[in-house]
Amino acid sequence: MSSSGSSSSQSPPNMASISDVSALFQTAKKYEELNVIGTGAYGTVYKARDLHNGGQIVAMKKVKVALTEDGIPLSTLREIALLRQLEAYRHPNIVRLLDVCHGGQSMERDHQLVLFLVFEHVEQDLDSYLKRAPGPLSENRIRNMSYDILSGVDFLHSHRIVHRDLKPHNLLVTSSGRVKLADFGLAKTYDTEMKLTSVVVTLWYRPPEVLLGVPYNTAVDVWSSGCVLAQLHSRAPLLQGGCDSEQLHCIFRLLGRPARHEWPESAAIPVDSFPDYPPRDLAALLPRAHPQALRLIQGMLVFDPAKRLTALDCLEHPYFTEEPLT
Amino acid sequence: MPYWYYDRKDLQNTPSFRDGIPNDTENRYRKEGARFIIDTGSKMDLGYNTVATGVVYFHRFYMFHSFRTFPRYITACCCLFLAGKVEETPKKCKDIIKVAKSLLNEHKFSTFGEDPKEEVMTLERILLQTIKFDLQVEHPYGYLLKYAKCLKGDKTKLQKMVQMAWTFVNDSLCTTLCLQWEPEVIAVALMFLAGKLSKFEVVDWNGRTPKHTAWWDMFVEDITMELLEDICHQANVIADSMQYPGNASLR
Repeated sequence: MSSSGSSSSQSPPNMASISDVSALFQTAKKYEELNVIGTGAYGTVYKARDLHNGGQIVAMKKVKVALTEDGIPLSTLREIALLRQLEAYRHPNIVRLLDVCHGGQSMERDHQLVLFLVFEHVEQDLDSYLKRAPGPLSENRIRNMSYDILSGVDFLHSHRIVHRDLKPHNLLVTSSGRVKLADFGLAKTYDTEMKLTSVVVTLWYRPPEVLLGVPYNTAVDVWSSGCVLAQLHSRAPLLQGGCDSEQLHCIFRLLGRPARHEWPESAAIPVDSFPDYPPRDLAALLPRAHPQALRLIQGMLVFDPAKRLTALDCLEHPYFTEEPLT
Repeated sequence: MPYWYYDRKDLQNTPSFRDGIPNDTENRYRKEGARFIIDTGSKMDLGYNTVATGVVYFHRFYMFHSFRTFPRYITACCCLFLAGKVEETPKKCKDIIKVAKSLLNEHKFSTFGEDPKEEVMTLERILLQTIKFDLQVEHPYGYLLKYAKCLKGDKTKLQKMVQMAWTFVNDSLCTTLCLQWEPEVIAVALMFLAGKLSKFEVVDWNGRTPKHTAWWDMFVEDITMELLEDICHQANVIADSMQYPGNASLR
């Protein structure tokens, strides 16, 4: 137990203001930062030691929140409340959120508050897992990982959370090979924060509706998961565009250019700006994949978000139900 | 994950107690703070959920801090301010302070310091750290309605019972019951109390099975009569002191 906090002296503390008391909190340091694990577009993740829990290793995400005239923004509080609430379910495919704290007075600059979200530390993400794999993954492993990812996505969707940025980098792989989703639920907090402009955001998992700048919903995560599932088979990203328009070209080279009536009215670019690509056979790109796996991925990579499978549809797909998962 | 329930020993050996404040005094402070949140909240047209969330923050806060270090009325304001944001019924800090000022005498308001708004802002960060950002709180109200839907019997009597139980839940906010029992348990106990006092005996309910001896068996496992009476007793102490109309002794 920490000995910081209020003193136990006999006389009542003679306080000028509450700010004097808040200074006491800085001494209650609970985590020791070890090294940087990753720098995302919205802040840094550290590997750290939990000094109150036998030195347990944790992943600590630092998020800077701009304080408003009325303190911490409502949207940030709502998002943290929801993340905390989700944690009560202890879903096996969601990274554990262990603690939330803030940096206290001394770390505030220009009306900023530094928030620390403390997560369980998972040694590996799917990106490095796939890069380190000595050869193709077994069909069984692919099927289990695919199911894990979709279970996590379905769980978020059932709590009205859209991940928005699913990719191998924020899918964590535990030592027993289970996949857990990380880095979600703070979209509105991020929006109010200054982006680190130097960080390049990958477009490879982005669905056409986002690239075209039209409204989107939970179906975006199904698209991104579809791209990841394909990558489990080939160990290489399926659609590698260098910029927004190049990414759209990649997509249409695979799916074929959408029919005119499918093109969203509010799209930023007209359909004619793309050549009339014919659709390609996914089986040619993923020659090792099981036919049901191909059917599932095809159902996920559909141009029209309304016609895409939902995460729940995916979980009930014959790819998973024809043979029991092991 | 933080755990927010305490046994009787913890509730006696609080930071305030260790700071030289007797239990009776602390309980009075808790009651006054909770009552003040309820009054301020209703004056600002905040719903029962926001008010109850604020009160739960308040009780949890003083399981970690002494009333001597943190005066109760400014903490109460801060709890209501934060609850307003979390429950998406935000009120401006300066407006809450304005209402608080109108409800408190000069001496009590002096604990807000020279710059009350700045004090509340600082306190917000201390409060968040103390309650560990565990912001979403459930209350007995929703459970009362859920239970009522399943009970069978005379509609008017049933309604009267629910209304009475609702009032008991309001009153229970001034006690430390929310630090002892989950909201579903409190809801069962206070509905049970209301049934007794309004002379409405629940004999049948939807979803009844032969295994059930009482309606609440359907919702919460292992509730003993002893536990119910203990909760009712704690809530009733408050009801008595407020001279709840038609209030009779339990036994």
